[in-house]
Amino acid sequence: MTKLSVRHLLGIKNLNENDIQTILDTATEFKDVINRPIKKVPSLRDITIANVFFENSTRTRLSFELAEKRLSADVVNFSASGSSVKKGETLLDTVNNILAMKVDMIVMRHSSPGAPHYLSTRIPANVVNAGDGTHEHPTQALLDAFSMREKLGDLQGKKIAIIGDITHSRVALSNIFCLQKLGAEVMVCGPSTLIPKHLGELGVKIGHNVKEALEWCDVANVLRIQLERQQIKYFPSLREYSLYFGINKQMLDDLNKEIVLMHPGPINRGVELSSDAADSHHSIILNQVENGVAVRMAVLYLLAQQ
Amino acid sequence: MKLLIKSVRIVDKKSPANGQVRDILIEDGKIKEIGENLSSNDIEVKDLSGLCVSAGWVDMRVGSRDPGFEHKEDLYSVSAAAAHGGFTEIVLLPNTNPVVHSKDTLNYIRQSAAGGVVTLHPAAAVTKKAEGVDFTEMIDLHHAGAIAFTDGEHAVQSADLLLKTILYLRPLNALLMNRPEEAQLSLYGQMHEGITSTLTGMKGIPSLAEEMMLTRDLKLLEYALEKSMYDTSDPVLHISLLSTAIGVEIVREAKQKGLPISCDVAVHQLVFEDSDLINFDTNLKVNPPFRSQADQEALRQGLADGTIDAIVSDHNPQDEESKNLEFDHADFGITGLETVFSLAVMHSGLSLETIVEKITTAPRAILRLPEISIEQGAIANLTFFDPEADWTFGKSYSKSKNTPFLGQQLKGKVRGVINNGKQEWYA
Repeated sequence: MTKLSVRHLLGIKNLNENDIQTILDTATEFKDVINRPIKKVPSLRDITIANVFFENSTRTRLSFELAEKRLSADVVNFSASGSSVKKGETLLDTVNNILAMKVDMIVMRHSSPGAPHYLSTRIPANVVNAGDGTHEHPTQALLDAFSMREKLGDLQGKKIAIIGDITHSRVALSNIFCLQKLGAEVMVCGPSTLIPKHLGELGVKIGHNVKEALEWCDVANVLRIQLERQQIKYFPSLREYSLYFGINKQMLDDLNKEIVLMHPGPINRGVELSSDAADSHHSIILNQVENGVAVRMAVLYLLAQQ
Repeated sequence: MKLLIKSVRIVDKKSPANGQVRDILIEDGKIKEIGENLSSNDIEVKDLSGLCVSAGWVDMRVGSRDPGFEHKEDLYSVSAAAAHGGFTEIVLLPNTNPVVHSKDTLNYIRQSAAGGVVTLHPAAAVTKKAEGVDFTEMIDLHHAGAIAFTDGEHAVQSADLLLKTILYLRPLNALLMNRPEEAQLSLYGQMHEGITSTLTGMKGIPSLAEEMMLTRDLKLLEYALEKSMYDTSDPVLHISLLSTAIGVEIVREAKQKGLPISCDVAVHQLVFEDSDLINFDTNLKVNPPFRSQADQEALRQGLADGTIDAIVSDHNPQDEESKNLEFDHADFGITGLETVFSLAVMHSGLSLETIVEKITTAPRAILRLPEISIEQGAIANLTFFDPEADWTFGKSYSKSKNTPFLGQQLKGKVRGVINNGKQEWYA
C-alpha cells in the first residue's frame, strides 16, 4: 500500500493530493471491514493510542475510539475536565506524562490553533489533529470528501457550498483545502461578519445569499451556528439567522435538481437546518458519521506504517 | 578612568572629524583630546584599528520586569543586555508590578546601582496601574525624573483622557509616548490580520487598529495645541512602534503639516513578515504584529526619508513558561537589546551614519536629553562597534531567551561602551 508523505496528520494543508487519495482509498477498504459480521482487523494490535481531548466532543471522540478498537489498538481516553490541566499543567507536560506510559499515538482536540503542530515538533509520537480551535479538523474534511465521493464520484469540477459560520469553523478551512486539492470548486456563504476578510485569496467564491448558494452547488455542507460561545457578537440573534440563513426542506425541493445536504454535527435543529431538511432524502448526515469511522481507521492505519 | 584610544573611526555627523580615524584621550569621564598620533605615558592604551565610535546609543523602548517579574528580567540583566547591545542609555517602560505610577517605584529604578555603564531612564505611567482610567500624579513624577509618560504596552483608549494628558503635560514640556492600537479591533488578536491569520485559523489584529487610533491621537493633539501658549519645538507626542504602511503615511502627512510629533519602529519589524508565523513560532509573536511585505517596505522608506525618527528594540523579555506554549496562550514579545545594531545593519537598508543617528541623536532630541558629540570637553558617553564583523549570537545576557536570533549568524558587532566613568569591552 502507498505511504503518506507525512508522519502526523496536522491539517489538510500539510497533505498532498496523493495523500488524500490514499486515505480515501484505504477508507473504502475499511468501510467494507466495518460492514462485515466481524468488524475488526488486527492491524494495530501492538499500538497504544491516547485520545487526548482538551475540548468537549462526543461524536469525534467516539468515532476515533471505535476506529482504534476496530483496528485492535489499545486505547486510553483523556479529557480535560477534572484532569491535571485544571491544576495548571502545561500541554507538553500533560502529553509527556501520557507518553511515559508507552503510548505510540496521540489523537488530540485542543482549543488553540496550532496546538498539534506545537506538539508534533516536541514529542516522538505520531500526532493526529482531531480539531485545533478555529484552525483545522482534517479527519472531518476527509470524511466529508469520502462521503461526497461516495455519492457523486470524482469530485473534480463539482461545486460545494459551505454555509454558516466560516470564521469560527475548523471544518470550513479543512474542507476548503481538501476539496480544492481534489479539484472541486468551493463557495462559502454566510453573514458577512462570519466570513474572514482574506478568505477570497484562497480562491473560494464568497456569497451571502443562501438561496443563490443552493442553486449554484452540488453539495451544501451546512455548519453549526453557536451564538452562546462567541465572546464577540457577530450577528444579532439566532431567530434572524435562521430566518435569513437557515435551510428548510422546501428550499431544497424547490431547486428542481439533485442536491446533497451535509452537516458535521451536532445540528442545531431549527437554526441552521430545519428538521425536515435534516431528515430529508437530500441529507447524508448519518452516512458522514458512518464514514467517519472508516476514514479515521485509514488515517490511523497509514500513520502507524510511517 | 584614564584611557587612550588609538585609531578609531569617528561616526558623528556633527563632528569635523566625522569619518576620520583618530585617537581619543579620555580622562575623568570626559574627552580630553582628539587628534592624530596622540601619546601619553603611563596610561592604558587601547588600539581599536578597524572599529568605529559614536555617541553612546539610546534605546527608547525597553521592557524591564523589575520590580515584580524579576524572574524574566531584572535591572542588572537588562543593563547587561543593553551594554552588550551598545546602549549606554535606555528608557524603561512602566509595565512592572507595581507599575511605575508613583515616586517610590520611579526612585527604586533611578537610584538603583544596577545600571553601571548604562543609564536607566524610567518612564512613568499616564494612568494608575496603566489601566487607562485614573491619572497618575504627572507633575510630581516629572519633577522626580520621569523621562516620559506612557502606559507602555497599553495604548490609551479613552480620547478624553489622552486629550487631558496632552494638555496637562504641556506646561512641563514633558513627552507623551503612545502606541496606537484600537483595543476593540485587536481584541483576542494573535497576529496580523491577513492571509496567514486566515490559514492558521487565528484571530487577526487588523492594520486598521493602528491606523484609526493614530488618526485619532493626531486629531486630539491638534485640538489640544490650538491656541496653546507653550513652545512646541520639541515633539509633544511620540508614536511608538509604527507597523503599517498607512501609519507611516499618516505620520508623514502630519509632520508635513508641522505637528510636533516623532515616532519609532521596532527593528524586528524590518526582519519578519506575517507569513513567517505559518508554523506557529511563539518567538515571532509580537504586538504590533509582523505585517505584510508592503508594510515592511513602507517602514524602511519611512526610516530613509525621516518620517520615522528612531529605531528601538522593544525589548520584551518573557520566560520560557510564557513562551513554550500553544500560540494563543503565549505572551507577546522578543528580547531585542543585543541585536538592534546587527539587524539594522542587515535589514534597514540605511547607511551606517543614518543608523547611528536613529539610535543616538534622534532619540536624545525626542527625550530632551543633552546632545552628545565626539569633541574635546564632551562627556565620554561612547559606543564602539564594528559594522563589518560577522558573528554568532551565541549567548544572551538577558534573563529571558525569547529571541528568534539566538544561535544565528549576524553582521555588525558591538565591541565596547564607555559611560558613567565606566568602560566595558567585548570580544
